[in-house]
Amino acid sequence: MTGLLEAILVDVAILGRATVFNLYFAFASIPVGFGLAVLVMLGRNSNNRLVANLCGGYIYAFRGSPFFIQLFMLYSLALALNLSVWKPLGIDWLVLNPLFLGPLILALNTTAYTAEILHGALRAVPKGEVEAAKAFGMGRSERFRRIIWPHVIRLAWPAYTNEVVFLFHATALVYFTLPVIDGQRDLMSQANDLFQRDYNSVLHFSVAAAYFLAVSLAVFFVFGLVYRHLMRHMPGARPLKFSLTRA
Amino acid sequence: MTETFEFWVSYLTNGRHLNWYASFQYTVIAALLGGAFALLFGIGGAALRNSSLPPLKLLGTIYINMVRGVPDVLFFIFFPLAFEQLVELVIAQSACPAGGGAGVWPPCPEANWFLGTGEYLLLASVSLGIVYGAFTANVISGALNSVPRGQLEAARAFGMTNWQVLSRVHIRQMWVYALPGLSNCWLLLIKATSLLSLLQITDIVRGANLLGAPNFSRTAGVIHGDWRWGYYLALLLFYILVTYLSEKAFAAITRWASRGMPMAERV
Repeated sequence: MTGLLEAILVDVAILGRATVFNLYFAFASIPVGFGLAVLVMLGRNSNNRLVANLCGGYIYAFRGSPFFIQLFMLYSLALALNLSVWKPLGIDWLVLNPLFLGPLILALNTTAYTAEILHGALRAVPKGEVEAAKAFGMGRSERFRRIIWPHVIRLAWPAYTNEVVFLFHATALVYFTLPVIDGQRDLMSQANDLFQRDYNSVLHFSVAAAYFLAVSLAVFFVFGLVYRHLMRHMPGARPLKFSLTRA
Repeated sequence: MTETFEFWVSYLTNGRHLNWYASFQYTVIAALLGGAFALLFGIGGAALRNSSLPPLKLLGTIYINMVRGVPDVLFFIFFPLAFEQLVELVIAQSACPAGGGAGVWPPCPEANWFLGTGEYLLLASVSLGIVYGAFTANVISGALNSVPRGQLEAARAFGMTNWQVLSRVHIRQMWVYALPGLSNCWLLLIKATSLLSLLQITDIVRGANLLGAPNFSRTAGVIHGDWRWGYYLALLLFYILVTYLSEKAFAAITRWASRGMPMAERV
């Protein structure tokens, strides 16, 4: 029995180090993805047909194809451009590093999903409030900053919480595609490696699953607190409820 | 001009490419079979979730919620591995001399269960079914609760038995409410079929990797450089096309399923 406990603790320590890589991928890609998503949302809603269609096409392409293929496609594209572009510029060490390329591809992916969520929220903003703001003589940017955006973020927050959890889960795929350098392994890659050593699939994958679960619960908790703050002025606001499907 | 055209035609129809086109069948089979399993597990999970017996209800709730916290790829890799090991453990009970070496798998060579593409494909479909069955169970359980109570009460007032109410009214009307969610589950599932190569299946992803890799031959020199991104781009477009067609198909099914329903506009 103590042998089992010891084995679990060893796994917890080894996979704890691996979790840092998953967390890094998520933390590096989420702010970038969110910023880009706001721009894509505005573009999708633009009066310029060309811009609106381009943004819509971007969202459709990234939401309609598997992240696994996007990883392969963008990684091999980066490899193919290595000799002609990155090497002459002297940035091949940066571009081909999984710690740069991984978050970049994750950010491109989450941009599309987040933009779709924000776009849906934008269309649900009460028209009356926007008209009232116009009647008050607010300009375009002031209207967006003070009336539209607070509505958008409140409406989008539950779905965005889900998106962040799904993005964290998507980080599990990064090292199936990108090369492992200097033993920098994430949870799935490390669990696979441990499995190859002693073939104890139940132990290693359970501990990895527990780490994913713990981080997911932490995200739900923190985002729930933020949601309560966002909804603090709404009487009888419902607590955050999570749906199971990615937007 | 015609020469380049002829080159591309012969390049794209050589034996290795024909094998690659044939491997699309694995993706299609995994999607259809996985979808069928997902629907089966989904209905089972929803039945457990809505059961009146507390232990069954708990089991259903745990099943539905497990996919919230753990990525699908972990289940996708773990289930086939664990299943294979379980079978090998059972074989080892009778086939192996007692006291097989620790840290060795399988315990003895006789207990090795060789899995071919067919077996892996079936295991992959089952694990897709288990993961997306949890999503489906959530959708179906929600849809069952969305059917207006009055409809069920009216059915009971007609003297229908519980089973008749369930099969003739409850489940029939449930589909309209479930379809948007089922469409979402299906789109997630077809995207997950891109993971087949992780289970030793030479599927379209692995095929693209092999075909696109820089190609040298001793007699002809460099045939082509690194073309992998082109092949992956083709796969990307393939998946976008499948998504587009699925959306169209689900829209048609929804229109058909909600004909004559007063709430059709809300779906």
